[in-house]
Amino acid sequence: MSEEYQPPDGYRGPLLERLVEAKIRTWSVIQVNKTDGSHYEGVLLPRSIHTSDDYLSIKVDTGYNIGIQLPDDATIKEVGYNAGSYQIPEKIVEKTAGLPNVTLLGTGGTVASRLDYRTGAVLPAFTPSELFSAVPELIDICNLTPKTLYQILSENFCPEYWIKTAEAVAKEIEGGADGVIIGHGTDTMSYSGSALSYMFQDLPVPVVIVGSQRSSDRPSSDGPINMMNATTLAAYGDLAEVVVVMHGTTSDNYDLIHRATRVRKMHSARRDTFRTVSDTPLGQIKDKEIKYFKDDIRRRSPKEDFHLNTKMDERVTMLYFYPGMEPDVMHAVIDKGYHGIVMIGTGLGHVGKPMYEALDRAQEEEIPVVIVVQPMFGFSHLRVYETGRDMLARGVIEGKNMLPEAALPKLMWALGQTQDVKEVEKIMHTNLAGEITQREPYSGFPIFQGGVPNFYDNYRNVDRLEK
Amino acid sequence: MIDPEKIDYRKLGFKAGLEIHHQLKSSRKLFCHCPAELSADLQKNPDFTFHRRFRAVMGEMGDFDPGMLVEVEKGYLVIYHANDAHVCTYEMDDTPPFWLDMESVDTGYKLASLFNCESPAEEVVINRKQYLDGSITTGFQRTMIIARDGHVKLASGKKITITNILIEEDSARKIKAEDRGRTVYYNLDRLGVPLTEIITDHNEIDTPELLIEAIKMIGINLRLTGLGRRGIGVGRQDVNISIDGGDRVELKGVQDLSLLTKFCAHEVCRQHALIDIQSKLASLNLKKEDFEHNYIDITHLFNDLGEGESAFAVRLPGFENILKTEVQPGKDFGYEIFEKCNLITGILYDEMFHSGEMSPGSIRMMNRSDDLFINKGQDGEIRAILKLAPGDGYVAARGSEKPVLHTLKKTVERCKQAFDGVPQETRRVLPDGNNEFLRVIHGKGRLYPDTDTPPAPYSMEKFHAIKEKGWTRPLDLLQKYEEKGLKLPMLELIIRDQKVPLFQKLVDEAKVPVSLAIRLTVEIPRWLRRKGHDSEIISQFTMISIAGNVMSGKLQTKHLRPMMKEICMAPKENQSSIVTKWVDQNNKKDEAGDVRDKWPDDARCV
Repeated sequence: MSEEYQPPDGYRGPLLERLVEAKIRTWSVIQVNKTDGSHYEGVLLPRSIHTSDDYLSIKVDTGYNIGIQLPDDATIKEVGYNAGSYQIPEKIVEKTAGLPNVTLLGTGGTVASRLDYRTGAVLPAFTPSELFSAVPELIDICNLTPKTLYQILSENFCPEYWIKTAEAVAKEIEGGADGVIIGHGTDTMSYSGSALSYMFQDLPVPVVIVGSQRSSDRPSSDGPINMMNATTLAAYGDLAEVVVVMHGTTSDNYDLIHRATRVRKMHSARRDTFRTVSDTPLGQIKDKEIKYFKDDIRRRSPKEDFHLNTKMDERVTMLYFYPGMEPDVMHAVIDKGYHGIVMIGTGLGHVGKPMYEALDRAQEEEIPVVIVVQPMFGFSHLRVYETGRDMLARGVIEGKNMLPEAALPKLMWALGQTQDVKEVEKIMHTNLAGEITQREPYSGFPIFQGGVPNFYDNYRNVDRLEK
Repeated sequence: MIDPEKIDYRKLGFKAGLEIHHQLKSSRKLFCHCPAELSADLQKNPDFTFHRRFRAVMGEMGDFDPGMLVEVEKGYLVIYHANDAHVCTYEMDDTPPFWLDMESVDTGYKLASLFNCESPAEEVVINRKQYLDGSITTGFQRTMIIARDGHVKLASGKKITITNILIEEDSARKIKAEDRGRTVYYNLDRLGVPLTEIITDHNEIDTPELLIEAIKMIGINLRLTGLGRRGIGVGRQDVNISIDGGDRVELKGVQDLSLLTKFCAHEVCRQHALIDIQSKLASLNLKKEDFEHNYIDITHLFNDLGEGESAFAVRLPGFENILKTEVQPGKDFGYEIFEKCNLITGILYDEMFHSGEMSPGSIRMMNRSDDLFINKGQDGEIRAILKLAPGDGYVAARGSEKPVLHTLKKTVERCKQAFDGVPQETRRVLPDGNNEFLRVIHGKGRLYPDTDTPPAPYSMEKFHAIKEKGWTRPLDLLQKYEEKGLKLPMLELIIRDQKVPLFQKLVDEAKVPVSLAIRLTVEIPRWLRRKGHDSEIISQFTMISIAGNVMSGKLQTKHLRPMMKEICMAPKENQSSIVTKWVDQNNKKDEAGDVRDKWPDDARCV
């Protein structure tokens, strides 16, 4: 009790005043007695924001938490103190000679996360020793060095972070890493992965982006398996591209290797949310074995030629066309001084006639407008219908089969290289890192990727009818 | 071992508490919109399957629950069977929870008032309770305290304290286990069905009889109020037991109340024997440090091992007799260790051996001597290799090296635990009344606030309104009809069969004697059900008319079964005319003398 008194965390208003008056701290064991005969004892927990001001959060003797009110005529007193410390145990790991060296750059979330009392949700927690404590199997795979780059949720990424990440990866490669893993929140993996793909020139080793769909404070987290597979690929894979490694099915079975420029998060919550779009995945990893599905994979190469090109123009935006969209939206974007626009058009890439005047203006002001498609699968084809031809006449750039997540950072990168619209168009039409493919295979439609277990069994009734 | 038939429970300091689980009536599951009902057939071909593995994670206070770590040692591969009608991506742990079913929360507060809880949770906080056995896809059960400090009154007037009333999601149904128990299968239909857990004070109930009384009373309270779901498998209970000098052991899967006394007796024997072992160890001057994890390879002694198999043994100083100590009828301490090892490592009983089993009087010899994998010669050689002193024991195991070494590790750990008496464990009851290790009892470390769901304030005005409204409890009915001859066991049947309204109508309005009302509402309908007839089609009006005719002497009680059977068998016929026919026949027969032969056999047993 000799320490200076600190009011309990997260409580506000009159309730906080009551607690301060009674000298109650976070982790105080408190007793509350009310005039109606109800009585409570438990550890006072920090309170989350966005919840009601009127309740105390307490942990009772069974380990459960409950919330209670503290009316004016109730009594409260501290009868003990019991501080919790949520800390994943530390584990020191020595390097093993002869094993490949891999660096894991943590950007937040993935491997270790813990409760955040401020919001009541989860926070990324990440130190090297926490990682080995959480997934000890990693120690045997390779010499893994975890480093923390940032601790942010992936929606808070921005081009500045892409550049910093690229520089950090380059530093590791130059420092001798045989592969680099980036722990990344899953929401914007495709954007970051695409951006890195354009920035790395003559990449010599695998750069593997990994995450988890269930946070690692859950017994069912997919994180540990994804982490093990990503580590295996980074250490041993004969591949030198930026890829995403995540669960291939909802089962804890195997992970798929997706080219970062072709992958999309297709479900808000499922483990097997990542699907390669309009192509097949590069391969799979199961029980430390890597199997490739394709031949056109960039293989490991000497490090001498490797360099970075991180020039980016961040003043690029993306618009999603909808029926009835007015050109003023696009005018506003141009007025605000944006240098490039990715437009997600309907079907083959169309926008409505009222938009034409805005396209005219963009052309006049030499602002490239790149068209990608809402159906997500397939190519932008602006020669099939009159509308498409009208759009091409107004200078739009066909985005071919680039995904929006790949097209946006690419346009930023292209504008970072040149201001000349013709040159930008040339870059946008050049396949830099698999973001454009010449051919779309039959199996590029993801329900055929074998990712859904028992798919046909599931629909066996339909199947039977067909027979 | 003490005689299980002659236990003086109070003298041994028997203490017991209950955890009663009962599904709640609701229109949906607790955290998603799937129907809260089970698919007809557990074994039916699933629409889809998937599999998962689980890891231990820390509790909120920053510690790993020891029970959870043992769970992870089991290394289960869990295969889920699911069908589209009952399972969505929530049960697959592939989508976060939807807003919780407030109908079930309301039911929780109704239970809180039914069981006189003084301290409600004013804001419901959803907690995660870890389960790594695969029965829940998330690896934790979402569960919440609704209220605390309640009680239930028994017919004797005794009050049993109810410490907590919880609402939680039910777990998945286990289908089977394969591969030495390493692969477990679950059907996901039941996962997420709203369930209440009613917990009584662990130290309050002091005899098995009182335990049964409490279970029954809580059960009929749930049924009478209609808050609980009805049907087979909707309720189950775990019993916590300890004796003086022992510790809390949770017996899981107690369904059959007729076996409950036996379950208690065998657990009391076990705890008593373990306490005995503890004091014997103290008198032998042994220390935990004397036990070393020094596993000696004895593979060369065997020529009948399978491909890739090996055999190992470990010395257990001073344990020769302790391993032979009978802890439950037909089970020695060595076997108790083997049960635990089998569950955790998959090594079978036949693949394990302890030094006391070669003697003719050993439990193994008495049960199944033919399954020993060690002969006398090998036993001698092992003793020599391990340099056993007189009184020392050993345990040997064969099989794949990894699980064999794991088995010996668990053996040494369990022997060290014997110095502390009774370990806190969750144990599964067996048909012979014994029980076996299931897991280390779960502690507080396995609880964690659910980060997917914010806390939900519950209006105390609403709770007070529920309390104001009050309840008719079983004891109120018993009190009301006791003078007229109603006894608790009959009331239990009336409540179980949902016949309370009809019973009250007959007794209160038609002034039917209690004994006749019981016959009409419970006894005969149950008899009809056994014969395959649906007595529910007999209308209330018909029942009252039957009762009236019996009371006025126009029908005799022996006519009731055949007549009601006839009504059931002719669902399209006018029930009144069947009754009238029987009344007429009875009157004619009175005139014509004894026509008993005309009655079917069934009638005679009334």
